[in-house]
Amino acid sequence: MKAGAIDKGMALLIKGSPFIVVERDFVNPGKGSAFVRLKLKSPETGRVLKETMKTQDNIEEISVEDKECQYLYSDEEAFHFMDTQTYDQFEIPMEGFADYKLLMRDGDTYKIIMWEERPLDIIIPFKVVYEVTEAFDGVKGDTVQGASKLVTIETGLEVKVPIFIKQGEKIMINTETREYVERVNN
Amino acid sequence: MNIDIITKRSHIIGQIRSFFQTNEYVEVETPILAPELIPESTIEVFETTFSSEFHGDHQFYLIPSPEVFMKKLISKGSGNIYQITKSFRNSEQIGKDHNPEFTMLEWYTIKANYLDSIKTIEDLFISLTDKNTPSYFKTPFIKKSIEEVFKEYISIDLLKCQTRTLIKKEAQELGLTIEKTDTWEDIFNRIFLNFIEPELPCENPVVLYNYPKQIVCLAKELKGTPWRERWELYVNGIELANCYSEETDSSSVKNILESEYIKKASSGRVIPDIDSDYYLIFNKDFPECSGVALGIDRLVMLLTGTSSIEGVILFPFSDTVKQIKITEDLLI
Repeated sequence: MKAGAIDKGMALLIKGSPFIVVERDFVNPGKGSAFVRLKLKSPETGRVLKETMKTQDNIEEISVEDKECQYLYSDEEAFHFMDTQTYDQFEIPMEGFADYKLLMRDGDTYKIIMWEERPLDIIIPFKVVYEVTEAFDGVKGDTVQGASKLVTIETGLEVKVPIFIKQGEKIMINTETREYVERVNN
Repeated sequence: MNIDIITKRSHIIGQIRSFFQTNEYVEVETPILAPELIPESTIEVFETTFSSEFHGDHQFYLIPSPEVFMKKLISKGSGNIYQITKSFRNSEQIGKDHNPEFTMLEWYTIKANYLDSIKTIEDLFISLTDKNTPSYFKTPFIKKSIEEVFKEYISIDLLKCQTRTLIKKEAQELGLTIEKTDTWEDIFNRIFLNFIEPELPCENPVVLYNYPKQIVCLAKELKGTPWRERWELYVNGIELANCYSEETDSSSVKNILESEYIKKASSGRVIPDIDSDYYLIFNKDFPECSGVALGIDRLVMLLTGTSSIEGVILFPFSDTVKQIKITEDLLI
């Protein structure tokens, strides 16, 4: 595959190790030829690798499979999942995916990208509705437009929200930016 | 679409016009649809056809920049000129700071060189700055030569790497993979994009000047050095503008265009018709001048703190692409 065809979320083999494409941008330095700038993440160590290559460079894409798995719980070392087809339980070491912890909810089903029996990535939907579990009331009479406060959602993530959001309400989060999108009415 | 942006965008463009008018540049409008282009080996162009029952079919191209026409105006004695125009780059990847159709500001200053143009763009920045302007936009600019940043960031002395073999050795020592087909320029760019550009400071705009002459373009060579009189401006890590002391020697222009045409003919998807007499405008009356091209969409992005070019273009290309996909789905 040519590097120009690389897209976010793809799995690539770089110097023998698998990497997931986290960010992909194009750059033509000073009207020069086209390059692609990648941010890659190792599913094994969580290490982030930055690489810039010509769009014409050849790169090895990994053919992956995905499976639906229920997220059971996590401990300090790993996320524990159950394959919803086979009911097999397995774990994914925390190391590569620690940054997902505050987005994943026990009991939810996620798509896991697998390569040669190894989990490469956990797909978190782009927008997810969470419950607000901790919120202090906004100051009465505070009607300043755009005023915001910090609340905690059920996964433990702290999010900046408009002042009118209350404990127990449901809000939609953009999981990529980890920012508040909107309040969700039941 | 981010509807709030229309007021901000309109205001910024108004300020730019006012800056150039105050400084006695004449605003010009030149064709977007051109029958001929100059060859630029790395730029893919859009092609279209003028079709007439009585005059037959003729190929036209959407301009990748207004340079050709603006230099024709200069050759006729226009004096200082500027233009805000749509420009088009085909095969341009769609990304956070690319859109195949974009708005370009281009201006030329007579009897000026590339260093004079730094002062002009700093003044333009000052005129665009108010209390809400992000801090990365503040003047004065940080000014560094390419030679300096290579030494400072990766201890490479570019003066000693003038051949492909020598620069390839340095690149390999940095751990880069070099392809057999890579030219000196490709290897330079691999090093630059992996080790220099991501490290450029973001607290002030950065001007990188004196580019290697191996990167062929219509910028004058800096006499007695391996550099060209050219700079690129980075703001918050984004390439915003470039500038040349324009090559005014007709035989040098002819040589550059011919070598670019050979490259273009072997690698381009669309090989545009070329105005083979274009170099003749660079006669003894063609004045010394410096030209700057600046991406307006990126400028609006930076001034408004918008993270993607799509946030400042009212109808971004990716929306159009989505619509194409939907149409295909419906056909199935």
